[in-house]
Amino acid sequence: MRVNRRQLLKALGLGALTTLATRSPLAFAGGGGAMSPSRVVFFVTPHGHVPNAWTMPIPGAPAAGFAERSLVDLASPDFSEVLRPLHPFRKRLLAVEGLSHTSVLADIAEVMRTGGDLNNHSVGVAGLLTGTRAQQNGGAPCTGGSRSLDQELALRTGAPGRFGSRVYGFEYVPNSSVAPFSFLGPGQATPIVADPAVAFADLLGYYRPGQVGSVQTRDQAIGAKRASVLDGVAAEYEALSPRLDAEGKRKLDDHRDLVRQLEASLGVASPSSCQATFDGSGDKLTQFMRLIKLAFACDLTRVATFIAPVPQPTDIGYPANTTMHTYAHESIANATSCGAMFNPVAARAMTDMGVWYAQHFATLLQELDAVPEGSGTLLDHTVVVWVTELATPTHLHHDAFTLLAGGCNDFFSTGRYVRYPRENTSPIAGFAKAGPAHNRLYVSLLQAMGQTDTTFGMTSTKGADGSTIDLTGPLTELHTA
Amino acid sequence: MSDDEYLNALRDLFPGQAPALPPLPHETASAGFANATEAQQPSDVRISRYETIANLYARGATADGAAVAALVGCTDWSMPTRAAACTAKFIDAMGSRLFRRPLAADERERFQLRFQAWQASIDFEAAVFLTLSAMLQAPQFLYRPEPLPPDASNGASRTVPVEPYAMASRLSFFLWESVPDDALVAAASRGELETEERVRREAERMLDDARARRVLWSFHRQWLGLDRVLGDEHLVRTPEVDVGWTASTPVAAAIESQLFVENVLFANGTLADLLTSRRAWVNADMARIYGVAAPADPAAWSEVELPQAERAGILTRVAFLAGHSHRGATSPPIRGNGVELRFFCQPPLAPPPGVDLSQPKADPADGPRTNRMLFEARTAPASCQSCHRGLNGLGFGFEHYGAGGRYQALEQGLAIDAHGRLYGTDIDRTFDGAVELSAALDDSSMVHRCATQQWMRYALGRGLVDEETALADAVSLNFERSGGNVRALLLDIVTSPTFRMRRVGK
Repeated sequence: MRVNRRQLLKALGLGALTTLATRSPLAFAGGGGAMSPSRVVFFVTPHGHVPNAWTMPIPGAPAAGFAERSLVDLASPDFSEVLRPLHPFRKRLLAVEGLSHTSVLADIAEVMRTGGDLNNHSVGVAGLLTGTRAQQNGGAPCTGGSRSLDQELALRTGAPGRFGSRVYGFEYVPNSSVAPFSFLGPGQATPIVADPAVAFADLLGYYRPGQVGSVQTRDQAIGAKRASVLDGVAAEYEALSPRLDAEGKRKLDDHRDLVRQLEASLGVASPSSCQATFDGSGDKLTQFMRLIKLAFACDLTRVATFIAPVPQPTDIGYPANTTMHTYAHESIANATSCGAMFNPVAARAMTDMGVWYAQHFATLLQELDAVPEGSGTLLDHTVVVWVTELATPTHLHHDAFTLLAGGCNDFFSTGRYVRYPRENTSPIAGFAKAGPAHNRLYVSLLQAMGQTDTTFGMTSTKGADGSTIDLTGPLTELHTA
Repeated sequence: MSDDEYLNALRDLFPGQAPALPPLPHETASAGFANATEAQQPSDVRISRYETIANLYARGATADGAAVAALVGCTDWSMPTRAAACTAKFIDAMGSRLFRRPLAADERERFQLRFQAWQASIDFEAAVFLTLSAMLQAPQFLYRPEPLPPDASNGASRTVPVEPYAMASRLSFFLWESVPDDALVAAASRGELETEERVRREAERMLDDARARRVLWSFHRQWLGLDRVLGDEHLVRTPEVDVGWTASTPVAAAIESQLFVENVLFANGTLADLLTSRRAWVNADMARIYGVAAPADPAAWSEVELPQAERAGILTRVAFLAGHSHRGATSPPIRGNGVELRFFCQPPLAPPPGVDLSQPKADPADGPRTNRMLFEARTAPASCQSCHRGLNGLGFGFEHYGAGGRYQALEQGLAIDAHGRLYGTDIDRTFDGAVELSAALDDSSMVHRCATQQWMRYALGRGLVDEETALADAVSLNFERSGGNVRALLLDIVTSPTFRMRRVGK
């Protein structure tokens, strides 16, 4: 079931807002039996992983079929190179080898027939988090064809005083146009906040410390009229909307709803354990990791999306004029979208890039694990999902490497490395066989976040041999029994 | 409003202010243009930015008693009766300025009631601040609503004239990328925007105004992708390409193209000027790249004429050339696609999956190879040629210009072959280099038609519907007959039925 913003507001009793709703304190009961809220972070990195640098062997596993091993008793050197920085968190990791960006492959196969933008970056950006076919834009790069998973969860977990989601990070530009990954709806990119200081100021817009003094200065009195101004603004949208055509009306109603949400958020106090302070030390990625922690700790959102940049070559020890993109193409022998080129330096560079991302991923886990909540830490109540734009840096979409961290309130069974068999014929003729669809991981994530969905995005497609590929149902192998 | 329209409007409405603003979220362009209404969508970040920015401007405009007095047009609001008169005056004047039309009775009443409540709760000055903030967040300001006529829902689909105040906004957002001035609103109030002749007269006045420069740049920047050069990929060039390239070079390249477009096209410039004029406004860095004398003041921009054998108009300028290249090498297909898409309105077909899209490299065993040789070999298969015949035919014409836009006679010690060929156009021919290509494009009716379609799309803020393509063809013919005069084209568009009429009803 999909809900739109208006239905959601109605459900929340905000359709005709008169009094400010308050948040249930139960959500934050400290160890008193009530479950801490579940959160999700989408950690999205450009390109993909060099398989040899990411995968780990599963001793004794049969050649075919699903296989798994425990990560808990492995020593750091036994970890693959890219995952090694995360060794301290091995009990909380769930490494998933062999998923496929199946909806993207299906999209490519279809666009090969009908014409349109087939650039592997564009279709990856458009399809990674939406799980549906891209929207073609006649000459311009294609964009997401539907609401992305993070925004779907945002709609369902937002509340007065709590943002649906925060999307942070870097405006990734693979084709001279910004590639956003996260979409509010078809062709509508979710705004990405690229400056940590601005992102912090945004959080302060909702952050309300427990109580306000009774004596107000004039400035405070004016500040206290913020809700009153927003109420007046919303009233103007309500007055004008009925006089417009359907498209104008829809836009103004959406805008009005957002103003009402902001207004409703203003009276809601943040948890007393939360202190909103900004720490501008470290690189921007590190600052964003801390902001995600802060937003979760203050319950200012339950969904965060972080779009990582392509590092400047000097960040990972390469000359400034290195073109990472060329290295991506050349990083895997005999498995590229572009002939049989292979350059060991390129494989090394892509691996170093993966390690660099893993180090920042570790920072995020560290930050979340440092915040006690209930009987554990924030990390126990969160799932951090590392997905990649392409499956492999060689611009293919069929063999992806996905890392989950944090159990999301014991929904996911962590401390494991799992491998899915590649059993589906690719929708694209001549391509290698592929594992389960990323859409099915998203069903698991929806359920981890308390939803009952059994599908997300595309539900079925055809392999090039005419076989049917089912994209529905959760990946139960990842769940706790 | 697009972000550019919004920010220009604030600048024009509050000329004394320039507060530091938080960044607005990225717009999703539709078919290349951010002012397309279908691309504009509210989000929680966006409305939060609107609120912050409204408060910044409202605070600046009410900074002290003198500022408030100037804003409301009153000096004394100490007595209730005087305050009431001042309130009415302020709400009517500010409202009509921001909403681009007189306030309706119900609007006036809503704002007055709120004003009075805020005044009673705090004081008069605070009420001015809060009211201004609310108006700056209201849909009448942030959007360009054109309410339906009262009987629209029960009538059949039909076209009706755009009402005069909405017409004033259509003109100003198209020709100034901003709100109308008082004179334009006054003309609307006198019913002077109801005839073609009156609209033309107003538009001529507006095109003489410096604000019209904005739209020349905004349109060409988006149409020709002149801001591509500001992307991350272009912060760096390899030393072999240009050892003098720094992070400020792309910015200078964008400014150079902005000065070129504005100066050449403002006041009766033509498509030929855009394509072939060698006038240029350069700083030291651009002078270095073009090989011309630098201005004495390294920070200054001064006019020069570029070398005749090497340069022509916008296609031979750094912003286009480097913006359609890679860090270490040129890409003839990208440049060729830049011309096909933008001048022939021909969107590219994607290469089939599985083909090699990386930059071709010479095998050292083969000895030196020019970029052209490498691309010719790479795209030789018949399956590539259906597209690459045209892309390469255009793109090879640019091979005298390196990935940083510098002119080169030799590459790897080999002579450069910049012969190209146009296929599938009304001007199919061979040409030698981008200077000849630029002149050839001006001979093309297809190029005039494509430019016209893009201008109309930009003017209307939406794609053309079927019934408008015939009109676009007629406007395009006029454009060609006028010698490609851009001013004449814009006047033709604003006086055309599609700009002055709207479709309503089911």
